This record gives sequence, structure tokens and C-alpha cells, in this order.
Amino acid sequence: MNTFKLKLIYPKWQKLRGQTTFNLPPHGPVAFAATLPEWVDVSFTDENVEPIDFDEECDGVALSMMLSTQVKRGWEIADEYHKRGKLVAAGGISTMLHAEEMVNHVDSVFLGEAEGRSEQMMIDWVNGDLKKIYNYMGNMPPIESVGPCRRDLYKRELYNHKGVQMVDLFHASRGCRFSCYPCAVSYLGGRKFRPRPIDKVVEDMAAIDNNRLFIVDNSLAQNKEWEKELFTAIAPLKKKWISHTIEDDPEVLDLAAKAGAWYVYQAVYDTSDYIKERVKRYHDYGIGVEGTILLGLDNQTEDDIKRLIDFLGEIDLDLAEFTVMTPFPHTKGYDDLLRQGRIFDFDWNHYNAGQVVFQPKHMSPERLQELYDYAWKSFYASESQEQKMFRLFCNVALREMEEGTYRPRDRRLANKSFGRDVDRSVRNVNL
Amino acid sequence: MKVSPDYYDEIFDFKGEWDMPSSCGLKIRSLDGKPCVIVTELYQDNPGTSVTYAGKKLAEQICEAKGLNLNEIIYVECNPNTNSKLSFYDEEFFQVDFNADIQHRYRQLDRTEVMKMTAD
Repeated sequence: MNTFKLKLIYPKWQKLRGQTTFNLPPHGPVAFAATLPEWVDVSFTDENVEPIDFDEECDGVALSMMLSTQVKRGWEIADEYHKRGKLVAAGGISTMLHAEEMVNHVDSVFLGEAEGRSEQMMIDWVNGDLKKIYNYMGNMPPIESVGPCRRDLYKRELYNHKGVQMVDLFHASRGCRFSCYPCAVSYLGGRKFRPRPIDKVVEDMAAIDNNRLFIVDNSLAQNKEWEKELFTAIAPLKKKWISHTIEDDPEVLDLAAKAGAWYVYQAVYDTSDYIKERVKRYHDYGIGVEGTILLGLDNQTEDDIKRLIDFLGEIDLDLAEFTVMTPFPHTKGYDDLLRQGRIFDFDWNHYNAGQVVFQPKHMSPERLQELYDYAWKSFYASESQEQKMFRLFCNVALREMEEGTYRPRDRRLANKSFGRDVDRSVRNVNL
Repeated sequence: MKVSPDYYDEIFDFKGEWDMPSSCGLKIRSLDGKPCVIVTELYQDNPGTSVTYAGKKLAEQICEAKGLNLNEIIYVECNPNTNSKLSFYDEEFFQVDFNADIQHRYRQLDRTEVMKMTAD
């Protein structure tokens, strides 16, 4: 088979205002690239960190999209390539969520997981027979077929902030047995938890040239025995990692800490003692906590939200991330709000979880937006997000120093942030 | 989050978005001389598309399977009570008018209407 030059693009999106931007190397595109046959020569551009060269020679273009806020930009990119006579395919999470619209903008839509399937699409493409839809929804490939990502495609210097390399994203499982109100993972990856074989996880993780990872699995707390086996197996790698929720069990937490748990994302949904103790238990094992706080649910009044924000000051969170309820398609939240006629904005660029697109039950959309802004300002009033991040960074650096795995920051990139020059000039401040 | 079988007479398997294998609970009653089709979301036991997202495509498949005319039925979506602590999983029934625009397509039924509709 002759070489097919595929331009793989991860479209940019508008970052939330007022928040520190950290560009992490995206996982979807390199997971997809790993499924392609050897005769496909991939050139990867993450538009969040570098501009697209639309005139770069290629035989075809593939868009990999994760967020709803990427899809409209993806369509613009497709239009540009259509002007140049190139065919464009699209895949990834938000392609699946917005597939009905996506088919109107690109030449081919790939739905589902690509392992063992992408080669057929590429053969069709080469033969001039690219199908409009490759539909593998609900038809998952064997989890054993998930291999290491093509991390060689990253331009590493673009995922670096002042000499500090960003974490690599990693997945140890797919699917989710939970059906949480605002989440579409069970629709996308199936309602069955599908852990990868432990030996494959270890092999894959060991090969990553980065000591710091973000295990992006929806929740690790889905199978306690697998979780314990996983943590035991990865401990010798001495990686440090971020993840979503870990099982609330002393033995699991102890194993997680020994396996390098750096900090976890933990939902803070009420002001109960349970939440307070849950955060404390993580801390008891030396694991940091970033609280994830979803605002605007139907069971929250204005007073509830204010109480929740005040509560955060009492539970010693290391970081907090606030989002507003967003009715992403194929979630229960979407179904409920749609039925109730409460979604007033279907512009996917606004589905960034920081902009109110629906009518809240107990307040106006404007008031919820104010409370969202207030939550960010309030939590980071005494110490900025970047300062709190730095504190967590110091924690992990100290642990790495003790274990002999610490890598000093890359001085050549000390004046660069995600490929751009850092402005270190001191400004005059008018008092 | 198991859905009580009291909500349905049978499990109806259907093709969801992109032909994903999907399932819902199904009850068909007679109401004011019309067939009343009640579809219930099964959450964790529905491997594919939700009943609300499937919408008219699901109604058409039920009508075809049961020999009904879509224009002559009362179509109701049920959000079953799953005994969850979260209020989002409380019981709700919505009558659906597929000819209406999105803001007016769903009408939540009150307790009396639900009792009348589901009475055996």
C-alpha cells in the first residue's frame, strides 16, 4: 500500500475567561493515531498551541474532537480544507455527541472506538470509497486491543510552561457503570466498566517519557479488586499521577498513595460531614484534592450555592474547579431540561460549562452566572489558581526528589509558555 | 439504579441513534378510546440511546411493532422513580407531541392524569 499522508487536527476552543490556561497534550488524537496502519503517515497539529498550516501537503484530513466547544471550529476547518479539495473525516467524543450535525459538515464521520476499525476506513479512503459514516456505536472492540498511544506525534516543547513539562494523559479503562446526571460517558463508552489488562497498562505507562500523568478514566472507583491490583502493579514505576475519584477505602487509598497518587478530582456536591471526611481521608494519605463543584442543579437554591462556596473554605481543598450545569446531548440532564423546555441556547460554542445555557429552577440564568463568577473569585481570593497549583507542584517535586525521579525544569524553555514567549516585563501600576 | 418492573409490561428493544441497540420499558393502555403508549427509561439497563433522545424514532418503531398509527396514539415518556437520593431520579411523566416545536413538545402530566393513565 502506498503511503497516505493524513493531517490530524485537534481544533482549538475558547478557554474560560479568568482561569489559568494549561494546555495538556490531548489524548484522543494520539489514541486514534495508534490504531492506524503503518502506511498512514500522520502529521499532527493541536490548534490550541500552534496554528494550522492549511497548505501543508496531505492526502486527507482527520479532525479529532473531545469538547462540544470544538465542533463549530472543526466545521470551519473542514470548510477551509474543502476549498482546497481535501476530504475531511471526523471522530472523537464530541463527534459522537453531535453526530447528527457533524454529517452535514464533513465527508466522513467515525463513531465509536477505532481499535481494529480505522484501517478499513483508510483503505476505503485510498480507494476513493470513503463512506459517509463508520458506525461502531455500542460495538466495542476487545479492551485488550487498546495499545499505547502515538505520543511521538506530540511536539513536546508546546506542552511546557516555563520549563515545566505538562502531564501526559493516560487511560487504564473505558466505559462506566454509573449513569451520572450530567455525564455522557456511559453513552459513549458503554455502561459496562472495561478495565485494560494490568500488564498492558504497566507496559504502556512505563514507556511514557514523563514522570507525571493524568489517568483520565471516568472513575477508578468501579472495581475495587482491579483498582488494588492496578495500584500495586504501577507502584514500582514511581510515576506521579492525577485521577478522578478513588475508592473510599483505607487499603485502596494506601495503595494509591504508594503508587504515586498526586491529587484527585473529587465532586463536592453538598456540605455534609461525609464530604469533609472524604477530603480529609485523601489528605491523611498525602493525596491532594481538587474539588469539582457543579452549580445550577435543580436541588440548589441561591443560599445552597453560597453555603457550598463557604463550605469549601472549611474542608481544606487544594484546588477547586467550578462548572455550571450544562446539558450536553446524550445525558440525563439534557433529556430532563429539554422535556421541561428549559434549554434556551443550542450554540455549542457556549457549552463550555462556564456559561449558563438553560433556565435554572431556583434563579435566573444571569444570577447563576453571577454565582459561578463569585465562586471562582471567592475561592481564589487569597491565593491564585496558579499559586495553589505551584504548591501542589512543590509537593510532588519533593516526593520525586526523595525517590530520585525528579527532573529539573528545562531551562531552555524557561521563557516559553505553550510555545509562546513569556512576558516578564514589569508593568507600572497606577495606584 | 434499577427500574421497578411495575413501570412496564415488557422490555422493548429498539434501534437508537446510529442503530445502537437500546431498550426501554413499554406499557400500552387505552385512554379515552385511544391507545396510550408509555415508554420508560431504564437507565443502566438501557445500553444505548435514552427514550427522550430517541424520541419519534422510538415511537415509530413501537407503532410498527404493535400495529399502531403514530397519529392516533397518546405517547408518554416516563422518568421512573429509582429510589435515588437525587431528586433528578424522581418519577415524572411527559406527554409528547412530536408535531410541536421543541419548547412545546413535552407536557408534564399531573398526578391525576398519571393515575388515570396507568390504572389497570
